[in-house]
Amino acid sequence: MLTIITTSYTFLVLIIGIIGIIRYKWLSLPFKLLTWSSFMACLLAILSQILNARYRNNKPILHLESITEFVFYSVIYYYLFKNKIIKKAIIVSIIVFSVSFLINAIFFQPFFKLFPSNIDLPKQVLFAIFSLLLFKEMLLYPLKINIINQSIFWFNTAMLFFATTMFFNLGITNYLARYIRYDNILVYFWYLIIYLFHILICIALLTENKKFTLSDAG
Amino acid sequence: MPVESLHVLILSTAAFFAFITAFIIYFIVLYRNKQLKNKQEQEQQQSAFRQELLKAQIEMQEQTLLYVSREIHDNVTQVLSFVKLSLAMAGKSSEDHKQTKINESRELVAQVITDLRDLSKSLSFEHITHLGLVKTIEIETKRINKSGIINVSLSAEGDIYPLGEQRELVLFRIFQETLNNTLKHSGAKHLKIALQYHSELFNLTLEDDGDGFSAILLDKSKGSGLKNIENRATLIGAVATINSSPGKGCCISVSLNPLEQRLYADGYHPNRFS
Repeated sequence: MLTIITTSYTFLVLIIGIIGIIRYKWLSLPFKLLTWSSFMACLLAILSQILNARYRNNKPILHLESITEFVFYSVIYYYLFKNKIIKKAIIVSIIVFSVSFLINAIFFQPFFKLFPSNIDLPKQVLFAIFSLLLFKEMLLYPLKINIINQSIFWFNTAMLFFATTMFFNLGITNYLARYIRYDNILVYFWYLIIYLFHILICIALLTENKKFTLSDAG
Repeated sequence: MPVESLHVLILSTAAFFAFITAFIIYFIVLYRNKQLKNKQEQEQQQSAFRQELLKAQIEMQEQTLLYVSREIHDNVTQVLSFVKLSLAMAGKSSEDHKQTKINESRELVAQVITDLRDLSKSLSFEHITHLGLVKTIEIETKRINKSGIINVSLSAEGDIYPLGEQRELVLFRIFQETLNNTLKHSGAKHLKIALQYHSELFNLTLEDDGDGFSAILLDKSKGSGLKNIENRATLIGAVATINSSPGKGCCISVSLNPLEQRLYADGYHPNRFS
């Protein structure tokens, strides 16, 4: 069952990447990056399955996923924000996180041994903050088109949903830790979140039109 | 896992998702309200602008008619009255005097015809669109210089390009307004007109050596000719700067970016009396 879920997840992100490629000429730069992030997620998912099958250990992929996800989505936020101070803060956060990732991978949560929760949790906090700030900026500079047709809305909703759900997931993990045979519930819940996140990303790619995003802005 | 714990788990998961959904729905409602508010504000601004434009157009028409009325009264009527008197007296004179009076009257009538023709040309919008701003100002300049009231010099720098029918008309009206003010109020002997055509900037400068006026007068003069100049400039996306101080003449400068597209400044200009 789990193999089916992980394989279908891989296909899902691949299809989303292909949708992004098909609509590439209508996408603005941040959504072009989003397309490439889907391909990256697909590649890492495949590598994770290979490492799991061969070495029963996909921790290195989780480390790589953690930092590449952060860099990709932070750069996307950099191009979506208008506020220069927030843009600078994003650049600083990318540098700080990259350095922290290296230190964490070497000293605290070794690359081949442990899940990088020291990087993952602050990452989710930052994504939640970015998404709330972007929602606020959207209210300051409303576009003329219906919000349901705005790709920024769908991307931001996806990020807020994903970031906040990760904390909830952590809470459930701790709660269920006292009971045996809980891991399946968590894994299924985790994949449900991931699926919903990528479906929202797909909607963002389908609704994106750089003509509206650039001309109606501000 | 105990049933109660499972219930807690399910409830907390449901509550969490409900909270996220509620936040998103709240944001959508807030955004929609903001869009409506922005749209209303934009409509109000556009309505206010249209009213302002209409008011300026009506003022321009009224002032144009006043100008015509004044010219006819001051020039045409006076001269024709003299011609009438002259011809009346000619009837009682000798043959030689009669012919002299008739010749004088003929010259005066010819002058009136020329003045009326010039007046018609200066009013006609088609004249301005046909000849362009520089040429039209040049014709007016020559007419004023011929009168001897004031010495007007005109200079045009750069490659002359069309600014758009409505812009050129409004700029010409600003020129006329300034000229009228200079002739009537300033006591100036010289008026310099400079037109500068650059790729991203057009500038019209009108400078006289008259009595000047204080800046306080400008601030208080709502609805006056000077305020009209500023309003008209704003209509075509230009900026009018009026600098003057007592004893130091007056300098009016109108600058605009010819590349900036504005709804009211481009396209075919309708008949200004319609």
